[in-house]
Amino acid sequence: MTPRERINAVIHFRKPDMLPWIENFYDETVVKWFREGLHADEITVIEWVISARDGLLLLNWPAVLGFDPYSYFGCQNLFGCYVPIDVGPIPRFKRKIIRENEHYVEMMTETGAVAKRFKSAKYTWYNMPMFVSFPVKDKKTWEEYKKRLNPEDPRRYPKDWHRDDYIKVFENYHAGNTVLTFTGFYGFGAQLMGIENFNVLYYKDRELMEDMAKHWEYFTIGTIKDAVETLKDRIDMIYWWEDMAEKHGPCISPKIFKEVFLPHYKNVTNFLKKNNIDRILVDSDGNINPILDLFVEAGLTGLWPLEVGSGMNAIDIRKRYGNKFFLIGNLDKREIVKGGESMMREIDSKVPVLKELGGYIPCLDHLVPVEFTFERFKEYCQYLKKYL
Amino acid sequence: MGSSEELFEKISLTLSSLEGSEKLKDLIHEALAHKIQITDIIEKGLRKGLEEVGKRYEAGEYFLSELLFSASMMNDAMDVLTPYFKGVEFKRKGTIVLGTVKGDIHDIGKNIFKMFAQASGFEVHDLGVDVDTQKFIEKLKDTKAEILALSALLTTTRNEMKVIIDALVQNGIRDKVKVLLGGNAVDNKFAEEIGADAAAGDAVEGVEICKEWAGEKQ
Repeated sequence: MTPRERINAVIHFRKPDMLPWIENFYDETVVKWFREGLHADEITVIEWVISARDGLLLLNWPAVLGFDPYSYFGCQNLFGCYVPIDVGPIPRFKRKIIRENEHYVEMMTETGAVAKRFKSAKYTWYNMPMFVSFPVKDKKTWEEYKKRLNPEDPRRYPKDWHRDDYIKVFENYHAGNTVLTFTGFYGFGAQLMGIENFNVLYYKDRELMEDMAKHWEYFTIGTIKDAVETLKDRIDMIYWWEDMAEKHGPCISPKIFKEVFLPHYKNVTNFLKKNNIDRILVDSDGNINPILDLFVEAGLTGLWPLEVGSGMNAIDIRKRYGNKFFLIGNLDKREIVKGGESMMREIDSKVPVLKELGGYIPCLDHLVPVEFTFERFKEYCQYLKKYL
Repeated sequence: MGSSEELFEKISLTLSSLEGSEKLKDLIHEALAHKIQITDIIEKGLRKGLEEVGKRYEAGEYFLSELLFSASMMNDAMDVLTPYFKGVEFKRKGTIVLGTVKGDIHDIGKNIFKMFAQASGFEVHDLGVDVDTQKFIEKLKDTKAEILALSALLTTTRNEMKVIIDALVQNGIRDKVKVLLGGNAVDNKFAEEIGADAAAGDAVEGVEICKEWAGEKQ
């Protein structure tokens, strides 16, 4: 089997010839490993860039260009091959420094938020910015912002969007899975209004929250339509970013989810399913247990990263929900990073059980953090591989 | 028009049922018009309502949205009451020095904790975010606070908490202050490792721990 076939087998609850293994690395972790003796054959350049994932998450990330940790360690990236469409605001806001002093800099991001960050810090990603203002504050600013969320804008697709060529690319890709990524109804609202403002919107201006969700559905389906109808199930997996929970539970209550978001989730997942795409992975940190029943109803079928520190337990979810979710993650990074007995205990207690139950791909319960030394990560790789 | 007790009940219920700031402010004005003592409005009305919100949050009936909205309602109510504070004696449960540790500029959780702690009767000295160790020490000495509440979102910055605890020892005040940790990056295991007294899973739990330390709970 190719890596892609293995991943597809597992997420469809079929037996692979060997268990695939997925990780995602903070580039910063890899940069640190270079300092600790990681020898890459070819390191062309390391650059600090503003990453525009989905156009809606703008952070300073150091990008290691010219080194591929996935092939080096023998794991797969969660995102093998992307559908290259732009689901961010068009036009982007002009990135500029709003104010700065000797310690901090406040910067207008391309999504229109103002992010405050340290001017210099040991780890840039780990000192991630604090957003101090957001582009959408009320109905008026939302109506303005909406103009940038036009699904018909031709710039959403690459200039070389020739359907047959892309079909070939997606058919011939085997190094990992093929993915279409977009931001969900909570994630987009929290990005545009800020967590504190968006979380109380249901109580302060429910009509606005409903209009935002309605437009996001129209925008999402409208934007991905051509790609989805062209590529269909050549797209192995949808990556649906939400980050909608904290340790205690979901940021919004199941009641708000059901009343405001659920109908829109269903419309998007039904559209995908009509096009033979039914592997829909939600990325949410935190404790999403109280909202899992509604995820099932919404048509979502996969979960990552299943943070142990927030009370997520993959074995428990498999027992409660059967094959309703394929699962990726749930290896407690806090235990794995300790190495030795702690690391082995964590892997031994989960991977063989979940491998047997099926529908599970081992992975840390988030990206590989900078706390990992190069040696500890190699130790983890070696031990995990005995179960693959 | 009802009795004072009925009015307190209405204030409490309006807050705990999240009926909105306008209704709550109307009830506060009504109470003020009836010359009800501000301390009673706060303690028998608002505080009781907020405690009910905390209970529902801990029980999994309310979530972050509800917590934030109740905080926003509470702030609106306090805006109405603040002009009447002059000369009013508040009974304090204790004093807390609060801040996000050096290297970390995140404050959502810290701010929710602050609001619930104040509403529960604690005097809170909030030093803000990215706070130097020395600033915590100075404020603890100034205020003679019994509780130091430290917040960190990030796993890298949580190590600053150990630096602060070591500084408490060096300054000879470790035994005079309880140290509470909060934030996504901490748990009780970590608290034990670095010599803190407790870690809170969320802001509401944090306030409950402070109440226990203040001897309020059985």
